[in-house]
Amino acid sequence: MANPGSDLAARLMGDMDPQLLDFLKTKVNSFIKWDLVRFFHENPHSTDTAENVARYVGRDASVIEAELGELVGTGVLERQRVGDLWVYSLATDAHMRKLVDQFILACDDRQFRVKAIYHIIRGMR
Amino acid sequence: MSDRIPTGIAGLDEMLGGGFLPETANLVEGAPGTGKITLGMQFIVNGILRYDEPGVILTFEEFPQQYYRDAETYGWPFLELEKAGKLRVIMTSPEVSRADLERVGGRIESLIREIGARRILVDSLSHFERITRDPIELRRVVYAFVNALKREGLTSLLTRESPVLVGEGDLTDEDVAFLMDSFLMLRYVEIDSAIRKALLVLKLRGSQHAKDIRQFEITGSGLEVRSKFEGREGILSGSPHRMAESFVEAFVRR
Repeated sequence: MANPGSDLAARLMGDMDPQLLDFLKTKVNSFIKWDLVRFFHENPHSTDTAENVARYVGRDASVIEAELGELVGTGVLERQRVGDLWVYSLATDAHMRKLVDQFILACDDRQFRVKAIYHIIRGMR
Repeated sequence: MSDRIPTGIAGLDEMLGGGFLPETANLVEGAPGTGKITLGMQFIVNGILRYDEPGVILTFEEFPQQYYRDAETYGWPFLELEKAGKLRVIMTSPEVSRADLERVGGRIESLIREIGARRILVDSLSHFERITRDPIELRRVVYAFVNALKREGLTSLLTRESPVLVGEGDLTDEDVAFLMDSFLMLRYVEIDSAIRKALLVLKLRGSQHAKDIRQFEITGSGLEVRSKFEGREGILSGSPHRMAESFVEAFVRR
């Protein structure tokens, strides 16, 4: 018998833009990353330390650091050494910036948000 | 290079003898709500729209969205100017901006060069106090930061929060105000049971400037500098009195 949960997942994800679905699956797979992507989208020229970014988004610095690292790993953010500090900023790659723009724009739609939330919760299990 | 960088604020440019001197650091100090940021944003937007001088806002406090919203209330199209590559609102921290400006090809430097920025608003210098509490070290840090801005060919306007709401504040020997090329003070004053705002150009290195204390208001189109306070003295104390009252106090009530 088919798993009703996976059926629902398939239906929820079926009509999602494949690029955005991939972005969600491979890059924004936690609520903290979602917050971080939104923060850097709204502050595209920001360059700051993990500690300061944590303060801006209202999260704990120790948690943020790992999530920022993963976003660097997937090319959403860039990490640079500035003096004796490690700082994070939005990737300068035009394709990645366009994807981030599309993701945040899609989040204006409630249906998309519901699907994205469902996907992240599923991924957390 | 022009010999003055006008703020575009009528009255203020007149007090400054035409504007700030090019590639200088200019401090605007005032209590919360006096209009420091409005003055700074006006310096930036006028630079772009009237003098074709792109600008950067370096903020350690407010999110860019806040500037866009505030600017919109005055009819200043910050978002469009960002899109047109004439403005960059950069949110960062004093420690990162300081380190970033000290290296070649840093992020801030790249953004400045990308739009050919000539003006910068730094909001606010008070946040540098997070880096160190030692006034001598703070002075060294601010000196290096200000020099980096000058190296980039920028005329900068730096805001600083005054701890004093009404009346005079104290400057110590190590105060960073001494590093600045000009020093503007915005003050609240109480006159006839109403709060008014006063502006004073305390210093303008290498140039003559108005020495009087002017009234100013924040209107729907920004900051407007009005006439000086006539017939009153003790403006900076926060509670000025009429000159005649001083005369009576000094010579009659004995």
